[in-house]
Amino acid sequence: MTELAPKTTSGTTTDAVVAQPVPLVEAKNLALRIPIFKANDRSIKISPLRLLTDLYFGRTKRAVATLLEDVSFKVHHGERLGLIGSNGAGKSTLLRVLAGIYTPSGGKLTVRGSAKGLFDVSMGMLQDATGLENIYMRGLQMGLNFDEIKELIPGIVEFTELDDAIEKPFNTYSSGMRLRLAVSISTMVEPDILLLDEWLGAGDARFSTKVQDRMNALVEKSRGLVIATHNENLMRNLCTHGLVLSKGKVLYCGELDEALAVYKDHGEQDAPAKLDGRQRGASAG
Amino acid sequence: MILEHALDFKRWHRWLYVAWFNFVVTYRKTTLGPFWLLAGPALFIVILGGLYSHVNGVETDIFIPHLAIGVILWTLIGGFVTKSTTVYQRNRAQILQGSMTLIEITVVDIISIVLQFVHQLLIAVVVFIVYSHQLSWYAFVSLIGIAILVANGFWLSIVFGIIGARYRDLNQIIAAVMRVAFLATPIIWMATSTRGQAMGIYLLINPFYHFLEIVRAPLLGMSISMTSWIVVLTMTIGGFILANEMHKRFARLVPLWV
Repeated sequence: MTELAPKTTSGTTTDAVVAQPVPLVEAKNLALRIPIFKANDRSIKISPLRLLTDLYFGRTKRAVATLLEDVSFKVHHGERLGLIGSNGAGKSTLLRVLAGIYTPSGGKLTVRGSAKGLFDVSMGMLQDATGLENIYMRGLQMGLNFDEIKELIPGIVEFTELDDAIEKPFNTYSSGMRLRLAVSISTMVEPDILLLDEWLGAGDARFSTKVQDRMNALVEKSRGLVIATHNENLMRNLCTHGLVLSKGKVLYCGELDEALAVYKDHGEQDAPAKLDGRQRGASAG
Repeated sequence: MILEHALDFKRWHRWLYVAWFNFVVTYRKTTLGPFWLLAGPALFIVILGGLYSHVNGVETDIFIPHLAIGVILWTLIGGFVTKSTTVYQRNRAQILQGSMTLIEITVVDIISIVLQFVHQLLIAVVVFIVYSHQLSWYAFVSLIGIAILVANGFWLSIVFGIIGARYRDLNQIIAAVMRVAFLATPIIWMATSTRGQAMGIYLLINPFYHFLEIVRAPLLGMSISMTSWIVVLTMTIGGFILANEMHKRFARLVPLWV
């Protein structure tokens, strides 16, 4: 805990939790800079004809985009870190870095244990394959063996409440059925460190509680959690710590209440007037 | 090393299953299923086989087996080359969910293409029976040829996959190149015929010709020239070094590009 707070705010730490010697996740000065190719400055606003001229003569410029800069934090065993920030602050990017999808271009990241995220759970389904085949397919992709998946199947079928529909092609499913299947498939593997980009739980009300239970169970089983959400209530219920991000930089890292307060202050000070309303709305849920 | 990952045999049964699923599901809604894979080459051989043997002035019992193997191998080579440019874009979901590594995705894609090829071998078998073509023990050399060809498909997929993820132009370029390459490679004509020799030096610098030769020549009972072996092996080694280097440098950027 002492280590979690940045040096400048070390005075605010408490002695309630004994710091673990080895953190699950240790990020030190993480940076993610990527070369991008900017579109032409001259935009469609000037003339709609630009669409045509740019198609043939559009030149792109090379530039470097900084997605994350100087991000440092630690997550210890049992800690749940909430990522706070407005849209485009780098929350999802940071989660993908932790999951090992994006490789940081600077700094040091140590992850002890398996870190898996629930990102875009509905993506990557085979439309013409049956629900059952999709379970096998995605399970194999996630690193499970054929036999391991076989054992998990009854549980998944029961959870999704698809019954006989599990043998029907995925593209015949309703949106609720699709989500249920996607959620249950994505939660097949239980990681040590759970990474969540927004809390899952849509569909019909009855199923929603089921998803909630599933998600809660997953959180309980994991040794550490990092979640990005705009839902403040959820974050208060779930998280022990908060990390405030703004334009890829860490504004604050430490106690959750403090972090939420910092985020609010920051929103009032820095956000452009026209964006303010949207940010407010988002952070309220 | 990319090879280390690709030859991780503990994972191979998973990759085979994934490729198999992809293959099966592709033809799920068609009545004839994967037999459609046979329709294209079969039509080509039945309808154009007679014509082109006439154009080339070669007997059909020599020309048709040559054409059949050529067309099937071209589907395999063309599959490797054209599909490689989009391999990472097509598997965007797996990349962004972090469920599969780039190497895994590449291997699965290669296996799917090889599965199609294995299917199409049926055509060669039928043609060999119809023309009672005799195979000698020497024909087994073509298995080595196939292995080398598939290995080249693997490194090419990594190189083109990475470039294709960044520059979507590559897919268009390759499609255009492959159309010309089909006609510039001795498939519907024979390199040994007098008319075929008009290609001259261009044939030597056509890598597709050499890859075709190391598989096709043993099946037709012809010898493989030393030049073909040198070109093929040089490309294999050079390709793997290039793919390894590109993977090391750019693999981290692919998730941002797709």
